[in-house]
Amino acid sequence: MDPTFLTIAELNRLYGQRELSPVEVTRALLDRIAAHDGKLHSFIRVTPEAALAEAQAAERELMAGRRRGPLHGIPYALKDIVETAGIPTTGHSKLCHNYVPAADAHLVTLLKSGGAVLMGKLATWEFALGGPSWDLPWPPARNPWNPDYLPGGSSSGAGAAVAAGFVPGAVGTDTGGSIRGPAAVCGIAGLKPTYGRVSRRGVFPNTFTMDHCGPLARSAEDIALFLQVIAGFDAEDPGSEDAPVPDYAAALTGSIKGLRLGLVEHWYAHGAHPDLPPAMSAAVEVLRGLGAIVEPVQLSSLRDYTDCKTTISIAELYAIHEKDLKTRPQDFGRILRNRVLPGALIRAEDYVQALRWRTVLAREQAMALKQFDALLTAGALGVADPADPNQPDRLVSVPSITMPFSVGGLPAIAIPCGFSRAEGLPLSLQIAAAPMAEPTVLRIAHAYQQATDWHRRHPDLR
Amino acid sequence: MRTDLSHLPPSSPEEIRAMTCRAGLDLPEELMQQFIAAWPAFEAMVRRIPRNLDRAAEPAHSYRPLRIVRS
Repeated sequence: MDPTFLTIAELNRLYGQRELSPVEVTRALLDRIAAHDGKLHSFIRVTPEAALAEAQAAERELMAGRRRGPLHGIPYALKDIVETAGIPTTGHSKLCHNYVPAADAHLVTLLKSGGAVLMGKLATWEFALGGPSWDLPWPPARNPWNPDYLPGGSSSGAGAAVAAGFVPGAVGTDTGGSIRGPAAVCGIAGLKPTYGRVSRRGVFPNTFTMDHCGPLARSAEDIALFLQVIAGFDAEDPGSEDAPVPDYAAALTGSIKGLRLGLVEHWYAHGAHPDLPPAMSAAVEVLRGLGAIVEPVQLSSLRDYTDCKTTISIAELYAIHEKDLKTRPQDFGRILRNRVLPGALIRAEDYVQALRWRTVLAREQAMALKQFDALLTAGALGVADPADPNQPDRLVSVPSITMPFSVGGLPAIAIPCGFSRAEGLPLSLQIAAAPMAEPTVLRIAHAYQQATDWHRRHPDLR
Repeated sequence: MRTDLSHLPPSSPEEIRAMTCRAGLDLPEELMQQFIAAWPAFEAMVRRIPRNLDRAAEPAHSYRPLRIVRS
């Protein structure tokens, strides 16, 4: 049996029936990575010996009837800003080329306890912001649907590796859309959980007040299974929320009848890829067909959300990287350097005003979520960008459709909802809900995927 | 009444150099030229931030002493 595109849920079932073993799956996926990642560069480092050892341990326990949870024996990979004891963690940067952490990030500890099988560390934009860059020690990852295109960022390797069938799930991080963006342009699912839902301890910081860790996988069901293992309170993460972790899979009832969904159409109605609005309209009709009540809702502009988020981010980023920018600025990639240096000229009052504005914008979303169970919009404004080193930097010039829910700290998932006609590249739907309402987000995404098959389409890597 | 600073003229390359110097950065000329090209978009962004928020509007972070004690 070829396990390449089996989901985490399917692997669990096949492990339970003893029709497939973690070692078989791990070997098959390692072979696939070896055969194809030379074109995609999704991994910075593959860890085959450790992966096989973890797979063998999982296999022994599963055969003995000791199942640790939904990721037991499941291969996964980590964005290379997540610290791993004894395994280099580079941030895809020359600055951390030889950095080997002494301890695992908290979420890695949880994944190890859950018996998951780490396959390696994944490409990212430099320090989860500067990319795509061609002047770093490792090349930028490419999009499995067409390697002439990029997989988005900053969890670029995670998006590419999951879409390519190298791993069924991966951990990414999302400050302004770095999980949802790659998920959107790679045709997979990616969840930015509520701020504080998943511990950030042991993960390179980007923006303390907006950093989130979360899963990328090929279905909403797999996202639920992955989140179950990594969600929870961590007293050593000052942003962590001490809230109970529900049974996420139990929320996947398949029914969304009567749910009220607010459609933020004005964010993508103008200036988006021409195939996006029709794809979104079709997705809305599917949801209506499932019994949801979809009505338009108006929020502030993407420009406002992007300005607010980016001002906060670059001020915090500069504080994080100030020492290195003053002593070895040439060791940063050009894109990261020119995105972070502006933080040196942000005044204290600019930063505080942006933080005050964030409260206003977040309250606007909270008000909308008193009327609606969830908000719908696009997962990206277009398809993947071409892999062109001469593309202008658009961090500030082009507003982001993922940043609003970063500003709000809300749970938001991107799932595929079609393909562009000209490029044949994925289009995406985004669903967000109130803080800690991951079950609602996952319930809607799962119901949509029960009625559609976009998530079952995969790139051909031949 | 204006609610932001977007009416201000963009900083000149000389002003950007001076601000960068005051921030304690001593960039090689090539990197300084890149930064001078990059800054105007960020400057325009920061100037679009509204300045007319209510006096009592709180920033979106708060100090929670219990969390510090617990960690």
